[in-house]
Amino acid sequence: MVRCMTTNGGSEPVIRRTPVFCGIVPPHILDHLAQHEDQTLSDAALRTLQHDSAARTRRRVTAVRTLTTAAAPAAAGSTPHRTIYDAGHRTDLPGTEVRQEGSESGQDATVNRAYAGLGATFDLYLKAYQRDSIDGSGLPLNASVHYDVNYDNAFWNGDQMVFGDGDGEIFTDFTSSVDVIGHELTHGVTQYTANLEYYGQSGALNESVSDVFGSLIKQYSLGQSAGDADWLIGEGLLAPGVHGVALRSMKAPGTAYDDTRLGKDPQPATMQHYVKTSRDNGGVHINSGIPNHAFYLLATALGGNAWERAGQIWYDVLTGGELRSDATFADFAKLTVAAAGARYQAGGEESEAVLKAWAQVGVQAA
Amino acid sequence: MRIQVRRTGGFAGIERRAEVDTSGRPDAPEWQALAERALATGRGTPPPGVPDGFAYEITVDGRTAYAADPQLSEEQRELISRVLKEGA
Repeated sequence: MVRCMTTNGGSEPVIRRTPVFCGIVPPHILDHLAQHEDQTLSDAALRTLQHDSAARTRRRVTAVRTLTTAAAPAAAGSTPHRTIYDAGHRTDLPGTEVRQEGSESGQDATVNRAYAGLGATFDLYLKAYQRDSIDGSGLPLNASVHYDVNYDNAFWNGDQMVFGDGDGEIFTDFTSSVDVIGHELTHGVTQYTANLEYYGQSGALNESVSDVFGSLIKQYSLGQSAGDADWLIGEGLLAPGVHGVALRSMKAPGTAYDDTRLGKDPQPATMQHYVKTSRDNGGVHINSGIPNHAFYLLATALGGNAWERAGQIWYDVLTGGELRSDATFADFAKLTVAAAGARYQAGGEESEAVLKAWAQVGVQAA
Repeated sequence: MRIQVRRTGGFAGIERRAEVDTSGRPDAPEWQALAERALATGRGTPPPGVPDGFAYEITVDGRTAYAADPQLSEEQRELISRVLKEGA
């Protein structure tokens, strides 16, 4: 074991205990090594990349978790507290306040979509799972729109949501898809509950949970059953002329787009095609296709509204306190089997369907 | 001077990279000054970032610095935006 000291962006010194690489080797070299034919070398490099990122994630999220209190079931009369800000194409957050809870809709369609999307998200969590906002205790929901210029992204910064307008050539406005809004806010729910580390399999679970509830928010707001839903993430986000229907497909991972500028949707649907990479925090937006597809299989096998039984099982695992922050797909899968048995009936229809869904994507859940 | 930018992560999880070679360009001094300032405000290892945030790798003649949204310096933001727009 080697101890070494580095600095965390020039602020406090950080002690790391990492064998071999010590955090000095630049990640792009580790990246190269991780693909090395020599298994010992590649495994060590991969472990270091995973460790470093996990350590950084832990540091980042610790402060947030200490503020978390156990959420009591929400009263049916709870209401959202939304505020929308206009970043004015700059990057200072949050920007100028342009709409607050209860105010009339204005001229800016982006502001109105963000406001409605926050409301739809609040609604699903409250009505389906009796959760009062992101933290379970009525956390105000803040969002900034028009972030930066031609910005091709939306993200959760730990406190609020941020939306870019897209470049207009490949991506349109990131508020244009309600599941994107639900996806970002669900990163907040995860942060206040299981706090899944944003790297490797736990990171892909973090991403998948956001896709699952993002899609459920869309289905709930449209009143769609599992059989009627499109199971797409970011439908409407690709600009006209881009060859694709969305950014991800839970129904058929890997088929959302195939375009000369964007490339092809890299998501696998099963463990057989799991992508081993250090990029994108260990492929968090890639391998999320596997648990995404398991959820789709479960929801369509059970039928009816996906947010009811399938969504309840996933929600119980996310918020139940047993899901470790460094959970693997198999850890998560086992907890869903237990949750299905506890919520419904041990060995019943739901448990059987959960087991079958995970088996179909190649994850050992028993 | 070769200036390379790689952007990873983001909601879409789609990687973008581009490169500008300043040799022979009339605005080379301006690019070089901007690149040096962007490198100086970067980190030696990738910073933590946020869920769905972009992560950036800036390489100038073999020297690499890392940055992540939303904590970019003005110089990094300008350089990244120009290289991804004008670079090949």
